[in-house]
Amino acid sequence: MTRKRDRLGVIYDILRIVRANYNSIRPTPLLRYSNLSSQSFSEYYQELLDKGFIKEVIDKKGKKYITLTDKGFKYLEKYKLIIGFVDEFEL
Amino acid sequence: MARLMAGPFIDPIGFGIELAYTFIVVVLCFLVYYKTREIYDLTGYKGIKYFRRAFLFFGLAYAFRLFLHTLLISKIAFDFILPMRMLFPLCTLIVAYLSTMALLYLAYSTIWKRINFEHFLHISNIIALIVAWLAFVSRSPALVSMIQFLMLLFIIILIITKKHKKGKKRLPMRAVYFLISLFWLINLFVLGPGRVIPFELELSLQIISVIVFFIIYYKVAKWVK
Repeated sequence: MTRKRDRLGVIYDILRIVRANYNSIRPTPLLRYSNLSSQSFSEYYQELLDKGFIKEVIDKKGKKYITLTDKGFKYLEKYKLIIGFVDEFEL
Repeated sequence: MARLMAGPFIDPIGFGIELAYTFIVVVLCFLVYYKTREIYDLTGYKGIKYFRRAFLFFGLAYAFRLFLHTLLISKIAFDFILPMRMLFPLCTLIVAYLSTMALLYLAYSTIWKRINFEHFLHISNIIALIVAWLAFVSRSPALVSMIQFLMLLFIIILIITKKHKKGKKRLPMRAVYFLISLFWLINLFVLGPGRVIPFELELSLQIISVIVFFIIYYKVAKWVK
């Protein structure tokens, strides 16, 4: 049985997808790979932009791409520690 | 009554132990708060927020408790700041407020997922202010510790009924949280008139209490490198 992803897990998955795509992905495939509803994805996407985990880059052809910021990379790097901490302290 | 009758004279050994104990606990509490700042800034996770705030309040409560303790054993030392009859109830009020907030935040950090209380901040402030007002009126730290003990019993019932993850062999943190809450209550209770518990027992409890705070700090430091 698959466990329901919590907020931290969803953020991790979205950031991981961006990184796995050479740190450059279009919004539509990101939505598809993230396995979220459009509404949930929009909320998370906006949150990630607001908190500075990702940023939007427009290329020469005017296409929008999403890339990770330093904070986004840091989140990915620290994710296991964060989950371990939350689990250890039963938070 | 020996302590009260001692008047302005401070037992240097007892006070030295109290000072060292408070210093260690306050430093450990603030270190826990400081060390968890990065992961909280990164995640904005509510459980981490409540956990951090609990230790911030505990640190402040212990610091003010030392001040209260000093007031109790030295009746003239602080008259240059405010008269004793004003300073003592004021300090009791602050200790009661800070410690009630610490206990509520610590408990809520483990149950917030189950009891998602939208107005937790307001309710906890109201409870803490009521306890603080009672402390101010009664001028009794022991009464505060008894009220907080009743609160703790209620919280324990809530926590015990929380579903616990199976297969964990490590020390359950709820037991550690219970211990630090209990040590706080004992520390507050012993501020009552006269020596309620023997010096050796009080010292042993303080040593165990420091060990428990060290365990928490060690576990925090292990995860947030």
